[in-house]
Amino acid sequence: MTAAQAAALLQPAPQYAIDTKKLNLWYGTFQALYDVDLRIRQGMITSMIGPSGCGKSTYLRSVNRINERLGYVRIEGRIDVMGENIYDPRVELIQVRKQVGMVFQRPNPLPISIRDNILFSHRLHAKGGGDVHQGTPDEIVEESLRTVLLWDKVKDRLKRKATELSLEEQQKLCIARLLPVKPKLLLMDEPCSALDPKGTEAVEELLWELRGQYTILIVTHNMAQARRASEECIFMLMGKVVEHAPTEEMFVTPTHRETADYIEGRYG
Amino acid sequence: MTSANAEMFQASGLNKRNERVQNSYRILFGLMTLMLITPVLLILGTLVAKGGGVISWEFLFTAPTDGMRTGGVLPALLGTIWLVMVALLLSVPIGVCAAIYLSEYAGDNWFTRTINLAIINLAGVPSIVHALFGLGAFVIFFGFGTSILAASLTLAVMTMPVVIVATRESLQAVPQAFREACWNMGATRWQTIRRVVLPNAITGILTGVILEVSRTAGETAPIMFTGAVFFTPFLPESVLDQTMALSLHLFVAATQVPGIAEEVPFGVALVLIALVLTMNSASIAFRMWLRGKKKW
Repeated sequence: MTAAQAAALLQPAPQYAIDTKKLNLWYGTFQALYDVDLRIRQGMITSMIGPSGCGKSTYLRSVNRINERLGYVRIEGRIDVMGENIYDPRVELIQVRKQVGMVFQRPNPLPISIRDNILFSHRLHAKGGGDVHQGTPDEIVEESLRTVLLWDKVKDRLKRKATELSLEEQQKLCIARLLPVKPKLLLMDEPCSALDPKGTEAVEELLWELRGQYTILIVTHNMAQARRASEECIFMLMGKVVEHAPTEEMFVTPTHRETADYIEGRYG
Repeated sequence: MTSANAEMFQASGLNKRNERVQNSYRILFGLMTLMLITPVLLILGTLVAKGGGVISWEFLFTAPTDGMRTGGVLPALLGTIWLVMVALLLSVPIGVCAAIYLSEYAGDNWFTRTINLAIINLAGVPSIVHALFGLGAFVIFFGFGTSILAASLTLAVMTMPVVIVATRESLQAVPQAFREACWNMGATRWQTIRRVVLPNAITGILTGVILEVSRTAGETAPIMFTGAVFFTPFLPESVLDQTMALSLHLFVAATQVPGIAEEVPFGVALVLIALVLTMNSASIAFRMWLRGKKKW
């Protein structure tokens, strides 16, 4: 037994926030995901990369079941979130959405005040039982905004419309408004693609802050971002998972030809 | 060399021609706009010039006398207000709710497409046909008689498509991203509609209602058989009463009363337009007040 193996044995077994088994997904007759098996480590940042149309956004959208809104989507297989199959018929969709927060490419704050944006989700879920922030509204607003490093910038204009903020601030707000209902997972679909480099850096910093407390799954087109801002990386191609490895490993010694070609920018 | 460069930035023949074409289109469009507002100004101007003289408190607040040759328009004015209000009360809730269903709940299938087609066709039915429908359905079949209720129901049926279309369009103008944001936080459809979609669509919905007010107040044919009468000295007291109405009164004063002073019909028309403008202004004020409010 080598030292490395011994060290591995001493580590607790890895916990998985998402455990996907044989996930197949069709849009009508077009199959977008083929036998996806993915286990996402709890408390870590995992990035998903791959060319457009490779299925990474589709996968992300399956994890909070927003795909189903399109009537022509068919799904086989299962996705366990924190050990529970979210496609079980007994599962309440509203609870899935509460536990699994989603951040979009284009910041989409609601056209109400900053304060009301933060409290929106909390107001929906506070009376429904389950784990939510127990503080007063003022505490919730302050804590959430502090977590996303926005409090000092906006504390004097909480009553102003959220749509007046800069894109970077809006995106941070969109992350902050998920926190009061204590989601287990944060899904981010290219959260920085509408931001300038400075905003991107700020959001990436925020991801590192949230790491550990939340499991974060982030889809990105930006290879440098995947490398900087994630611990594990998944490369997808044509609806299949090609490679899933610690980020550093994948970028330095990819085990698949396609991965190497993609991260070196030979296609994409 | 120098001469070649000097010509580089000069207008070419093509540039000059493009400029001329562009100017003539601008003039054409401007003229059309002028033609559009000219009738409006002419109508208002004529009404004020010819009918302004008869307008007085007495004209507004007394009943017609001497076979409608003298006196005022009070029963017709009140009658029109009744008709419009009852029609609004009937058509706005139904129209807005139907539009919410069609826009927010119904899927895109042949059934909804049929309903949409029916709504568009309903909007195209001539008002006299609505009048006959109202006579058959509300006056005779449901037995409301010729009454404000029957007339307002007819008006409501006639104007509902306008409300539905305007409401649906303003609902669909609310960005889809707002709805997705709500759904992703676990809001139900109704929570999404109530807290995000409706507050953002309310101004557009009210615009539809304003349009409806204008149309309802001016309609003559649908109320002629169903609730409005040539003359009654009584003011309406309930929805089952018959009533005079400004639009019908205008028709009567203009064509059916021999020896009437020329300015009286113009005065009636002026009152009708003023009433519509007042109601519209009230809705616009309400709309601005709602917009100013953060929540409602």
